[in-house]
Amino acid sequence: MALAAPDFPDLASRGLVEGVARVISVDGGTAWLEPEQSTACGSCHSAAVCGAKPGSARLVARRFQMPNDHDFRVGERIVVGTPEETLRSASLTAYGIPLLLMLVAGVTVQKLGGSDLQAMAATVAGLFAGLVVVRLKSQKLTARGALAPQYLRRAFGSDAECGLDRSSKD
Amino acid sequence: MQDIILLIVGAALVNNVILARFLGLCSFMGVTTRVDTAIGMGAACTFVITVSSMGDWALEEFLLKPYHLGYLRTVTFILVIAAAVQFTEAVFRKFSPSLFKLLGIYLPLITTNCAVLGVTLLLVEGKYGFMDSTVFAFASSLGYSLVMVLFAGLRERVALADVPRLFAGPPIGFITASLLALAFMGFSGMGAR
Repeated sequence: MALAAPDFPDLASRGLVEGVARVISVDGGTAWLEPEQSTACGSCHSAAVCGAKPGSARLVARRFQMPNDHDFRVGERIVVGTPEETLRSASLTAYGIPLLLMLVAGVTVQKLGGSDLQAMAATVAGLFAGLVVVRLKSQKLTARGALAPQYLRRAFGSDAECGLDRSSKD
Repeated sequence: MQDIILLIVGAALVNNVILARFLGLCSFMGVTTRVDTAIGMGAACTFVITVSSMGDWALEEFLLKPYHLGYLRTVTFILVIAAAVQFTEAVFRKFSPSLFKLLGIYLPLITTNCAVLGVTLLLVEGKYGFMDSTVFAFASSLGYSLVMVLFAGLRERVALADVPRLFAGPPIGFITASLLALAFMGFSGMGAR
């Protein structure tokens, strides 16, 4: 029996974190996609546990758009990728900067003889200062398009996580 | 400053949350198939553990201890953790929607991570002041992230090795984890006088 050869990812897609997304709507040259539960959790289809069922508010909030260069159709599942380096730097930016500012502010106030309440106030102020820095930095990254996922290929059987094809269930 | 450094080394390496206290083993085995997912989960956990420890310390000091409500501690701390996760999600959605879209998947998983509750309960045992408890929580979660990333790196290498069928998958993962725990036993006694 002849099997159709899947379009394997090209070499340029190595070093990318892959995820499967479903096309929700197509509006002219733009396609809106909703990510499926990624491989972050070992029990990736335990949707009842983490609430990330298709169409859930959590996934709706993570919808993104992409240029419709590959003639996407509504309901189609495609594989998108983000460079590993982007994920690493995004994690450090989002969580590292507020934590660092928060701890530096709190420890500084305490070492200067401040009370627990003063240290707490400084820590909270540091946290919000850090979040403002994150906002500015992420605006720059977004403007450069560094955080946008890239189209890799159309999803086929082996792209269904945990060996299950969710498209048949929905 | 020396006391803070000793607190950090003690919490991150000597009494590591995963390898010495055996907390957070579900995410340790579940999210460590790739280094990048381990980094994402570790960073999110570090943030949530540190933020929730601040809330837990305040509630313990100003509500539970003065009114002798210690029996409500676990329930209260679980509520604070859930609130911290929701707070983190809401703040990132508002402040940086693009980062939220990229990293938001790890946040719901943290609510059910026993390491978060474990660290906050350890803070009560330790009877720390506010800043010491925040630094302890940060260092504990840093140790958690470190072990997650180390273990993910080892699993990526093991995945390429020719493992006997009997040991493939979780069994070789547990053997690798035990060897990593043995390595971390080398930190025992560090900082003791």
